[in-house]
Amino acid sequence: MSESGPEAGLLASTRKGLLVGRSRGGRSEWEWRPLAMTGWQVDYAMRDARTGTLWAAAAHEQWGPRLHRSDDSGETWRETGTPAFPEGVGVEAEGGGDSVKSVWTIAPGAREGDLYAGTDPAALFISHDDGETWEVCESLLGHPSREAWGPGAAGLSLHHISVDPRDPKHLAIAGSAMGCYVSRDGGDTWRPQNVGVRALHIPPEMFEYFSEEAAGHCVHSMHMHPERPERIWQQNHWGQYRSDDGGATWIDVGEGLPGEFGFASAIDPRDPDTAWFVPLDQDQARMPRGGELAVFRTRDAGATWEALREGLPQEDFHQTVYRQALGTDGGDPIGLYMGTSGGEVLASADGGETWRTLRTHLAAVLAVRAWMID
Amino acid sequence: MAVEIFLARALLVHVEAPESAVVEGATVGEAVGELSRRHPQVRRFVLDDQGRVRRHVNMYVNDAMIRDREGLSDAVADGDRVHILAAVSGGAGGFRSA
Repeated sequence: MSESGPEAGLLASTRKGLLVGRSRGGRSEWEWRPLAMTGWQVDYAMRDARTGTLWAAAAHEQWGPRLHRSDDSGETWRETGTPAFPEGVGVEAEGGGDSVKSVWTIAPGAREGDLYAGTDPAALFISHDDGETWEVCESLLGHPSREAWGPGAAGLSLHHISVDPRDPKHLAIAGSAMGCYVSRDGGDTWRPQNVGVRALHIPPEMFEYFSEEAAGHCVHSMHMHPERPERIWQQNHWGQYRSDDGGATWIDVGEGLPGEFGFASAIDPRDPDTAWFVPLDQDQARMPRGGELAVFRTRDAGATWEALREGLPQEDFHQTVYRQALGTDGGDPIGLYMGTSGGEVLASADGGETWRTLRTHLAAVLAVRAWMID
Repeated sequence: MAVEIFLARALLVHVEAPESAVVEGATVGEAVGELSRRHPQVRRFVLDDQGRVRRHVNMYVNDAMIRDREGLSDAVADGDRVHILAAVSGGAGGFRSA
């Protein structure tokens, strides 16, 4: 913390590269390193709090996916191993191309050296050597419910991974359109956990809609609470949900929000009852209702919502906020960061009450992730 | 067989390797493999993660396009020249929509 207050680091992943920012003056001023991975689509970047290593998942239409790491806060980057399916495991590359098109998310495991990656096509990969080599989770790849999965507009991707900090064998993953899956044995077995979640893209007669094994649901973002891991929040294609039993059942918390559709959501790591969502006006439009950008916050586990819009565009905002483009820094007061498809990075240093624009004219911002700097 | 491999300059933007190198190999795959052992980035930019020629890359042995883009089994003879081309492609609006 500086004399002015807490300071944060920020990773903004864009369609044309990665920006690494650092605040000064109590998160009032921001300094930025030059664009890294210029010209490459950076789908996701995050910081591993265990080691301080920054990770970035880049992809290029000509040259395929790559993972990069930085051990000097983003000054230099180097390529590491990239997840790929071994021959004969059941996912064929289409028409001559990488078997893994892109890496959508990276998550630290609970054990030293363990990292997880989620990909398109939807699969979970694990590394036991801090990202140098990767192996596919075959139990998920061969899961009998996989036939119910189908690609959404952005492909068939596994884009959110949560690891219970208290129990390294407890994992929750989500993708679109695959649904939420939970493992309690470190990934040896998986159970679809989608009871109570709407899936209006699937005719009900195609499967037992509310059966315990139903899958193919279109999760857009999902977060397990680190201090209360049985609580999971989810923005779905068809609504906003909360689970208090580790995903076994889901409660619709969307009443009071201006639309069930949306991509991004974030949670407060210190308060399981607080979460932020960016509802969008139905799936055919994918922009905020009325062109007014607002972040909606609940502080009572989804019972009530308040619209936070001070400093955000309130007319003719025809952009979207992608599924990983909302994040918090974990500070006190908590900082929120949001990226837009129009290339803006917006920030709030007071939990979303007031916002200001940090960057404009970037390529589409696909993800933002932030952390506190000691 | 000693063959000379030539890399298009468009590839050298991404790959730290010389414009040409003499390598040993009886097939295109063996020759590219030898070059990749010397310069590991070559493999990632020229071949996909299943070992096939990338969609936007092409290879010639002398003046003939290779036939086997999946297995790179085309034979090469002593003194052959293997050319690796990068297509001038792109311009689409990106490949992620949500």
